[in-house]
Amino acid sequence: MLPLTEETDEAPRASADGVRSAAVSDTANGVRAAPVGTPLAVSALRSARSPARRSLAWTPARLGVYGFLLTAALFFLLPLYVMLVTSLKPMEEIHLGTLFALPLHATFEPWRQAWQSACTGLECNGIRAGFWNSVAIVVPSTVLSILVGAVNGYALSFWRPRGAGLLFGILMLGAFIPAQVMIYPLVRALAFIHLFSSLPGIVLIHTVFGMPVMTLLFRNYYASLPMELFKAARIDGGGFWRIFVELMLPMSTPVIVVAAIMQITGIWNDFLLGLVFADADHLPMTVQLNNIINTTTGERLYNVNMAATILTSMVPLTLYFISGRWFVRGIASGAVKG
Amino acid sequence: MSKAVLKGGVLALALALAAHAAMAQPPLKATVIHWWTSGGESAAIRQFADAFNKAGGQWVDNAIAGADQSRAITTNRIIGGNAPTAAQFNTSRQFRDFVQEGLLNNVDDVAIANHWDQVMPAAILDAIKFNGHFYAAPVDIHMPAWFFYSKPAFRKAGIAREPQSYEEFLDDLARLKAAGLVPLAFGGQVWQEKITFDAIFAMVGGPDLYLKVYRDRDQQALRSEAFRQVLVKFKRLKAFVDAGSPGRNWNDATAMVVSGRAGVQIMGDWAKGEFSSAGQVAGRDFGCFPGFGPHAPYVVAGDAFVFPVTESRDAVKAQKLLANVLTAPAAQVAFSARKGSIPIRLDVDDSSLDLCARLGLAIIKDKSRQLPNSEMLTTPDVNGELQDVLTKFWNKDQSPEDAQKAFARVMKG
Amino acid sequence: MTTPAIARPRRLQLVAYFALLPMAATALFAYLGTIFWSARISFSGSRTFPSYDFVGLAQYVRLFDNERWLLSLQNVFVYGALFIVATLVIGFLLAVFIDQKVMAEGMLRTVFLYPYAMSFVATGLIWQWILNPELGIQNVLHKLGFAGARFDWIVDQDMVIYTLVIATVWQASGLVMALLLSGLRGIDEEIWKAARIDGIPRWRVYVSIVLPMLGPSLSTAFVLLFVMVVKAYDAVVAMTQGGPGTASEVPAKFIMDYLFNRANVGLASAASMVLLATVLAIAAPLYFVRSRAARSGRES
Repeated sequence: MLPLTEETDEAPRASADGVRSAAVSDTANGVRAAPVGTPLAVSALRSARSPARRSLAWTPARLGVYGFLLTAALFFLLPLYVMLVTSLKPMEEIHLGTLFALPLHATFEPWRQAWQSACTGLECNGIRAGFWNSVAIVVPSTVLSILVGAVNGYALSFWRPRGAGLLFGILMLGAFIPAQVMIYPLVRALAFIHLFSSLPGIVLIHTVFGMPVMTLLFRNYYASLPMELFKAARIDGGGFWRIFVELMLPMSTPVIVVAAIMQITGIWNDFLLGLVFADADHLPMTVQLNNIINTTTGERLYNVNMAATILTSMVPLTLYFISGRWFVRGIASGAVKG
Repeated sequence: MSKAVLKGGVLALALALAAHAAMAQPPLKATVIHWWTSGGESAAIRQFADAFNKAGGQWVDNAIAGADQSRAITTNRIIGGNAPTAAQFNTSRQFRDFVQEGLLNNVDDVAIANHWDQVMPAAILDAIKFNGHFYAAPVDIHMPAWFFYSKPAFRKAGIAREPQSYEEFLDDLARLKAAGLVPLAFGGQVWQEKITFDAIFAMVGGPDLYLKVYRDRDQQALRSEAFRQVLVKFKRLKAFVDAGSPGRNWNDATAMVVSGRAGVQIMGDWAKGEFSSAGQVAGRDFGCFPGFGPHAPYVVAGDAFVFPVTESRDAVKAQKLLANVLTAPAAQVAFSARKGSIPIRLDVDDSSLDLCARLGLAIIKDKSRQLPNSEMLTTPDVNGELQDVLTKFWNKDQSPEDAQKAFARVMKG
Repeated sequence: MTTPAIARPRRLQLVAYFALLPMAATALFAYLGTIFWSARISFSGSRTFPSYDFVGLAQYVRLFDNERWLLSLQNVFVYGALFIVATLVIGFLLAVFIDQKVMAEGMLRTVFLYPYAMSFVATGLIWQWILNPELGIQNVLHKLGFAGARFDWIVDQDMVIYTLVIATVWQASGLVMALLLSGLRGIDEEIWKAARIDGIPRWRVYVSIVLPMLGPSLSTAFVLLFVMVVKAYDAVVAMTQGGPGTASEVPAKFIMDYLFNRANVGLASAASMVLLATVLAIAAPLYFVRSRAARSGRES
C-alpha cells in the first residue's frame, strides 16, 4: 500500500544517490548507518520507524480519499435507505408515493409477517420455512465447488497437461450460456441417473454451474504466484496432491475468501436451479421469497417484500462483514521473503 | 375357555379389524402446482384445499409465484419424470402442446357425470375440450376488461353517470384531466397494454371484427378501415396517461384510483382485491362497469387445472376427485368470493359475491355476450408477437397504418 | 513464467489428468453437450417441447427478421461496454482508496458489497421507483424547488439503457472492489517501499507498477463482468421489463421469453446460438492476444 497522502518526512525523496541506497539497505535491515543527529539521519530514523506508525496527517489528499469514499457510500446506501424506510411503513403510506420520506407510523409488522406469516401459497408461514433448506444446499455446494475450482486452477496453472487449455476454453464459453437454456438437457441427464429432484442433485448442479468461475478465479490467482515455489517443492520431492494440500492451499486464503463470497451469495440467492432440481423437502428460501414478492394478479405488499428481501440477504451480508479479517495484507507475500 | 368368552373375543377381533380397515383408507394424495401466492389468493385456494381434504384427499401444495415460472416448472417436472398430480394453466392454448404430446389425462367421466356441457359457458368449454375430450378442470373466470373508477374522482370532475359509449368515455377522461386528476391510471407493461387494447378492440370494434381477426385470422378484416379505426381509438388513450406510467405495476395503478388521484383503470376483476384491502366497497367508494352499453361483450379468461399422465392408479383417482371437487358449486362460490373471479358454473347461488361479480355472472349467462380472450384463440407465440407490435405502437410514434400492417403480418403466421 | 525445466514423470501427468476429470466431464457433457443439443434444436420447429424435425434455417431467418432481437443485440453491446468500463473503474478506485488505511474499513467494505448480496428482484424495483419521474429523484428535485429539473431516463426510450447501467454498476462494483482489494493486498510491501524511496510519484507507482501486477485480478474481474453482461436478465425484468416498449430489451430476456412464455424452444435455441457465436467472436481474439503475451514471457 502506498499512501496517497503526504508523509511528514520528505527527506528520502530529496536524498542523493549514495544516501538513497544506504537508506534502502538501512530500512531493509532495520539498521541505521548514518550518524545520529544529522538532519538526514533524523529523517532516515523516522522513515525506518514508519512502517509501524505512520503519522497520517489530514492533508488535502487524505480529505479527498475520505470525500470520495463517503460520496460513493451515499450513492450505494440510497437504495438500502429506501428499502428500509419502505419496510417500516404501512401500505397506506406507501401508496402515497412518498419514496424518501421517513415513516409517519413506523411499524415492525411487515418484518414479523415476512419472517413467519406471509402467504407463500396455501401455507402462510413466511420465509423461515426454507432457511435450513438453503443452508443444507449452500454448504455442500460451496465447499464442493470451491474444492473442484481450486484443484482445477492448480492443475491448469502449474501442471498444464495437454488439452487442458482447450477444456478450460470450453468451460469458459459455457459460462456464457444462460442457465435456462441448459435446464432441459440437465433435467433429462439428472433424471437418467435418478438424481432429479433431490438434494445431491442440486448440489451437483451448483457445482457444475459454479465450475467455470471458480476455476477461473483460482487459475488466475495461482498464475500470480511465482513458479519458483512450485519448482522448489517439486525438487523437494512433492507430488501432485501433496504440493496442493501442503503448499498451495494454505497460500490461497485471499482467493478462497473471494470465492466463498461469490459462491455463497450466488447459491443462497439462487432461485431457478433450486426450484427445478431440488426436491419438495429441500426447496430453498428463495422459493418462499419469490412467492412473497412475485405475483401475477394478487395484491403486492411492498413493505413485506422489502423486509423479506433484507432478511434473506442477512446471511451473505454477515459473511461479508466477518470476512474482513482475511482481507489483510502479506498472506502470499510472506512466502517469498527468504 | 368358555364358549362365550371365545365368541366375544372373535367378535371383538372382527370389529377391530373392520374398524381398522375403514380407517386404513389412505387419503388420496395430490401435489398441486399453482401460482396463487398472495394473501387473497391463498385464502381462495384454501377453499379448494379444504374441500378436497374433506372429500378424502390430501392436498400437497406446490405454489410457485409468477405464472410463467409456474408453467415452466410444470413443464420441467413432467420432462424429468416427477410430474405433479395437477398443475395450473390458463384456459387458453398454453397446454395444447401437452395434449398433442399425450402428456395429459382426460377427465371425461367427471365432465359427463357433472354435466359440464350444460353448466359451463361455451368459451370455457372450447378452451378445455380437444378432439371431444375434456383435458382440464376450469376453476374460475376472470374478465380482463373491467373499467374501475373512483367515485370521489368522478364527483370532482362532475361526471354524473357511467359512460355509455367510447366517445363519452373519452369526454369523461378529458373532464378528469381538467379537474387536475390523472384520467387513466395505467401501467406500461406489455401485458397491460395488450389487455387494454383488447378491451377497446372488443368494445369499439365489436365482437364480429374481434373474432374475424383473432379466431379466423381474416386478412381482409385485418386490413380493413374498421380495424385501423380500432388502433386509432386505442392510441387516443395515450393522451390521458401520466408520464410515470411505463413499467408501473398494475397494483400501483389501482392504488392511484383507490386514493382518488386517478379516475379510471382498465384492468381485470382481480383488481378488486386491492380495493378491498384498502377497505373500499364496490358501489360505494368505487364503481365498476364491464364495457359501454347494455350489449357490451364480456371477455372471458380463466384458470384451469390439467392432470399430467401418471402410472399410479391412486394418482388417477386423486385427479378425478380433484376435478370433481374443484368444479362443485359450493367450492366454486367460496373460491370466487375470495379471488374476485366469477364461478365457471352458471347454476350457483351468487349472494355472497360482490357487486361487480354478480353483475358479471348475470352478463355471462347471455351467450351472445361471451367473447373468448385472445389467449384462447391464438398460440402463446403469436400472442407474444402481438404484444410486441402493440407495445411498439403504444410507445413510439408509429402510424396506425404501419401498426396495422405489422399486426396483419403476425396473424398471417 | 517460463516452462519448468524439470521433466515431468508420466505418472504425475496422469494424476493431473485424473484430477481434472470433473472439469473434463462438465466441459464435455454439460457445456459442449448443451451447445450441440441447442444447435440441433435451433434447426427444428420445437414449440413447448423439443422436437427433432428439421426446418433448416427457418428459425434463424425469423430471428433476424425480428426487430426486438436486433434491438436487444444492439442494447447489450452499448450496455456491456458502459457497464464493464464503469464497474472496473469504480471498483478499482474503491479498492485503492479503501486500501489507504482508512477508518472503519470493515464497515465501508460492507457498504460497497451489500448490493451484491441482495436479490435484484427487489432492488430492481427500488431502482425503478428511484428513477421514476413521478416518485423518485425528479420528484424530489421538483419539491426542492428545481422546477425544470429532468431525470426521467427510465421512461425515455433512448435513455432507458443507461438506467440499467446505473443500477447494475451499483450492484457489481463491490464485487470487483473485493477482487481487486485481495489482489492489492497480495502485493509485497517491500516493492512499495522501494519505489517510494526511489522517488517515483505515487500515481506513477499505481499506473506503472501496481496496475500491471493486478493483471490476473483485473482479467478475472473482466471475465466475470462480461459473463454478467451476457446473462443480464433479472435487472431488466425487475426494472423496466424490457420497456418502455422494447427499448431496453436484452438477448437473455428475449431467449427466456421464447423459451417458456411463448413456448418456442426452436427460436430460443437459435437466439442462444447467435448469442454464443457473438461471445466467441469477441472473446477468441482477446484470448489469443493474451495467450501470445503470456507465451512471450510476461504474466499468464
